[in-house]
Amino acid sequence: MKHLVNIFTVVLLTAILLATPGQISAGDKFQELINCNLHAGPCTQLLSEQTVILEVSPRPVKAMRDLAFKVKLNEKLPPNTTLPYIDLGMPGMNMGPNRVQLKFTGKATYEGRGVIVKCPSGRRTWRATITIPDVGHADFIFDVIY
Amino acid sequence: MLSTETLYLLYLSTGFTVGFGHCIGMCGPIVVTFSLNLKEKNIFVPQLFYHLGRITTYALLGGIVAAVGSFTIVAANIESVQKGVMIFAGALIILMGLAMGGWLPLGRVFGDHSNAGGWITTSFNKLLKVNSTFVYLPLGLLLGLLPCGPVYTALIGAARTGMEANTLYQSVFAGMGLMAAFGIGTVPALFLVAKLVDMGWLKSRNFIYRFGAVFMIIVGIIFIVRAIRF
Repeated sequence: MKHLVNIFTVVLLTAILLATPGQISAGDKFQELINCNLHAGPCTQLLSEQTVILEVSPRPVKAMRDLAFKVKLNEKLPPNTTLPYIDLGMPGMNMGPNRVQLKFTGKATYEGRGVIVKCPSGRRTWRATITIPDVGHADFIFDVIY
Repeated sequence: MLSTETLYLLYLSTGFTVGFGHCIGMCGPIVVTFSLNLKEKNIFVPQLFYHLGRITTYALLGGIVAAVGSFTIVAANIESVQKGVMIFAGALIILMGLAMGGWLPLGRVFGDHSNAGGWITTSFNKLLKVNSTFVYLPLGLLLGLLPCGPVYTALIGAARTGMEANTLYQSVFAGMGLMAAFGIGTVPALFLVAKLVDMGWLKSRNFIYRFGAVFMIIVGIIFIVRAIRF
């Protein structure tokens, strides 16, 4: 019993230690998920029959800055459709809900402002999920400068 | 726009889910450190003071960002302070770990004074001259400034809500309330972690205590490395 207790506590403390975000070399494994270089320019993805283009400015894309998000579709959404929006998050880590509300600015283009926050763990891989109601969502995974 | 009640509930539930999904990793080591350091003492009141301090800091930050109407302006101004707090937290955890392991003539500064006798302890206690339980309140106030992704995210929302309010008073009040709700939401997860370590039948084992000391030192080093990289 004594050994079991010791093992349990060691496992518990070790688990907390490992769960600590930013164990010195953490984060690199998520870089292989990157499918977009927003520092270089807009990124494109296909969603059903829609082409979704995401552009973030100013470039290079830095955390803790006010950023402009522009989403361009190949065709305008039907009238009275709920507007698209962007959810910002990190792959593999819950950073809390961070939604960028988009407004229609003409020519199948939607724009909004948001902030990508800095994670003390040092991980720089972020995900912007663009949701187009009734159509689906597209994930853009990219690197951010801290 | 969501109603105020819905927003409070949203922030509370966000704090709760983020608490179990994120804070256990970030703030968990801190509450575990406090819990280990208190040893036989009841952890409830010290933990309560710590969380009260932390939530107060969140609320103050919420009030400020809501009044300013910009998260990034406030964040830019407190960045160096946050870095300092992170280094302080790391150093404190290492110090407590070394003392708990008996590798420093410090005894347990916070809480149990049975090992008091080291010259640093004596000096420190003279300096403090306060009931050690209350030390956790200013500690919480200070450590509430630790850089944290979900706190930043919540502050972005608080800034937006502040901008939508009609008066400055309403902005500040909404920002403070939302961040307080978020902070309260994070408490159950952290309290659960602290309680798991606090189980008296675990802490009475010398082996566990020594392992805990090593754990604290490693966590402290991670905090300092992170702060330098931040």
